[in-house]
Amino acid sequence: MTPGVGIWRCANCRLGVFPQPLLCPRCHGETFATDRVHEAVVEEISVIRHMIGQENWQPRRIGSVRTNDGQLITVGLQDESGPGATIELFQEDNAPFGRAKA
Amino acid sequence: MTTKAAIIGVGQSAYTRRPEPGQTVHSFMRDAVVAALKDAELDAKDVDGMAVASFSLAPDTAVDLAWKLGLSLKWLMQDTNGGSSAVNMLGHALRGVEAGAADVILVIGGDATGLAGYGRVAANFNIVTQQHLAPLGHGGPNGVYALVAARQIKKYKLEKSDYGHIAIAQRSWAAGNPNAVYRAPMTMEEYLAAPMVADPLSRYDCVPVVAGAQAVIVARADRAPQGRPGVRVRAIRHSFNYDHQQGDGLATGISTFANELWASAGMKPADIDVASIYDDYPTMVLAQLNDLAFIPDGNLARFCRTTIAERKLPVNTWGGMLSAGQPGGFAGGLNGISEAVLQLQQRAGARQVKDAGRAVVTGYGMTMYRYGGTAGAAILERGL
Repeated sequence: MTPGVGIWRCANCRLGVFPQPLLCPRCHGETFATDRVHEAVVEEISVIRHMIGQENWQPRRIGSVRTNDGQLITVGLQDESGPGATIELFQEDNAPFGRAKA
Repeated sequence: MTTKAAIIGVGQSAYTRRPEPGQTVHSFMRDAVVAALKDAELDAKDVDGMAVASFSLAPDTAVDLAWKLGLSLKWLMQDTNGGSSAVNMLGHALRGVEAGAADVILVIGGDATGLAGYGRVAANFNIVTQQHLAPLGHGGPNGVYALVAARQIKKYKLEKSDYGHIAIAQRSWAAGNPNAVYRAPMTMEEYLAAPMVADPLSRYDCVPVVAGAQAVIVARADRAPQGRPGVRVRAIRHSFNYDHQQGDGLATGISTFANELWASAGMKPADIDVASIYDDYPTMVLAQLNDLAFIPDGNLARFCRTTIAERKLPVNTWGGMLSAGQPGGFAGGLNGISEAVLQLQQRAGARQVKDAGRAVVTGYGMTMYRYGGTAGAAILERGL
């Protein structure tokens, strides 16, 4: 588990982008520096209660969040955080997760 | 408007929730092609162009399908734009015929992934899905559109039952479609009692995955069967990656071209008799109809409770994918086009909309990350 979620910041216009782009969607700059965002506000949530093709599925919570840098990211929620809650972000491999800020 | 090209035939395979041994995407596509050729009163040797889209054709590609169908062609394409592939292929085929690149083009979509196969497609839809969504257990498109639906409910102050009006109206239309997999009438009580799949989406908000295929034939208008003029396309537009996934997903790519589409067709929403709106979820039906200016006051709740519930606008008159089934988005989109053709040619049987003369068809797809990134729409008109 790595604290924060990795984003890509355009070296030209400073826009932070997630997921990784090839060219900046705003200025088409081609050079990016990696950065991390650590906090987000939950905007919408869902509970995934059924997964097609899977048996013995355990419900999972996901959320659409807006990071404190402005990216809109889908995260796995590891607690009962709901819309409006501020969460801390972390990453397992490439997947973003969040839970209520301690 | 197309001047030389028209849609002159449509065909469908059986749709089934569980394919039997020996039923493959290839066999479903063959059945749809045979039906479309018969409908157009053409022979396979008349075909000189083909467009195909499918998740489950691989490792075969378009030319392999042409080979297996015994077709020698001078125009061929394969489309990868999911739920908007049908409108996209239609546009390419129309332009192909208009330009003289081919005279008779088969447009085919189909899938037979099975439920487990569909699950694999959903988890591996693109690199972003593989890396950033599937490890969350995001539930495939259901999870993605659950979040979009939650956003739509919040923004437009919708009730769960508002989506129910769409599902129920489409189920009512499906009763007149012998090819629909679900035809029994549905009540609001049944809709609301259905188990939740991905909050706020419940069972009847999510398209049932089926196996099957659909084909339409785009050709020079003079190839149409005698006494049954082909359907003309007054205008067609497409959009790809319209907002870099940085919006709310409540406006689709259709919003980028709707005004131009209507102006090009010389029509307005009130001129439309039948609408085939890509319906992987009721949420996206509303979003596309709103983009197309069918809801001019932006009051989606009122639109559901009156226009849809009271059947003032015939939407997805074959039952839509929600009731007829989704044999992949490719064939699902083609089914909407086929239905518009049948309606405009007054061949829709028990579900015929009286004197239907003009239709709008849409496609929407490719759930890149937070919502779909491709869309298309066309205005169709009864041929003279």
